[in-house]
Amino acid sequence: MSTHGSQDTGGGPPAENLDYRIAHLQERLASGELGELGVRVETRGRSVLLTGTVPSTPCRDEILRTVEEEFAGVPVHSDLVVTEASSPDHAEELA
Amino acid sequence: MIRIAAVGDIHMGPDSQGVLRPAFETLPECADLLLLAGDLTRHGTPEEMRVVAREVRDLGVPVVAVLGNHDHHDDRPDEVSAILRDAGAHVLEGQGTVVESGGTRIGVAGTKGFGGGFVGRCAGEFGEPVMKEFVRHSRRSADALRTALERLDEEGCDARIALTHYSPVADTLAGEPLEIYPFLGSYLLAEAIDTAGADLAVHGHAHAGTEHGMTSGGVRVRNVAQPVIGRAFHVYHLPVREPATSGAGAQQAG
Repeated sequence: MSTHGSQDTGGGPPAENLDYRIAHLQERLASGELGELGVRVETRGRSVLLTGTVPSTPCRDEILRTVEEEFAGVPVHSDLVVTEASSPDHAEELA
Repeated sequence: MIRIAAVGDIHMGPDSQGVLRPAFETLPECADLLLLAGDLTRHGTPEEMRVVAREVRDLGVPVVAVLGNHDHHDDRPDEVSAILRDAGAHVLEGQGTVVESGGTRIGVAGTKGFGGGFVGRCAGEFGEPVMKEFVRHSRRSADALRTALERLDEEGCDARIALTHYSPVADTLAGEPLEIYPFLGSYLLAEAIDTAGADLAVHGHAHAGTEHGMTSGGVRVRNVAQPVIGRAFHVYHLPVREPATSGAGAQQAG
């Protein structure tokens, strides 16, 4: 029996394949309102992990909203951090 | 001593107004100038750059900037540069400028730079036109940086700084995926810096990179992308060296 074309490679149909969905999400984040290239999107088991630093809380919220929309039904874990905007507490001496 | 404040990748948009201003207003107390290492906006729109312009206007220290790839996204680099200049900033692309502070002359040579990668793992000027143009864009940028640094040397600056958006070295990319290094910087920038000489090289672009690095010629490199430094800016204290008496720029860099 040929299994050509019916083997479960773990990825499923392209539209459900997490790898491609992540790639498309990153294209959407880059081309959309946020112009966001600094968020790393990776799989962890059957869930999606977001890491990186974003410029503002509204940016973080918008990214999360977009990701949850793209990955409906997939658990999304966010470790996104909002940039710190305080003055430095010391200088580096370049002797 | 020269006090250099620097930050890159602030990625400002309409929701960012006033976020950095309180920290920037402390600059006259702790720095002689502020360097902005590109990616000041998210898409390079005039609206976004006006947010940046209001953030840096009348700070009490000179502001010297280069654009980043985000600032080019809307294809209006000249227009957004003009907005920043109207706010009093020096915006450099393949040029140098000298700012004076307390009797010292600080030369800054700036360019956005570009990618291509690092020695042994880099793109070559070969093959398809778009590939050749990719590498040529980096090369033009690096050549202009070298020329600008050499001119600053002739003008007798007390310190010379190379300001880029893309990284001249791989050191400061540590933390980024290795596969994307060729999109994060080019050794051509480091070669230009080492050839002309500089006291410090400052860049941004690599959000997941690290702050500290050095060119193979011994010039210190600092990645000041805001996600890396985790502050509104970082300050570097540079000792004032003896006035240059020869054109041996690479020796000064050591």
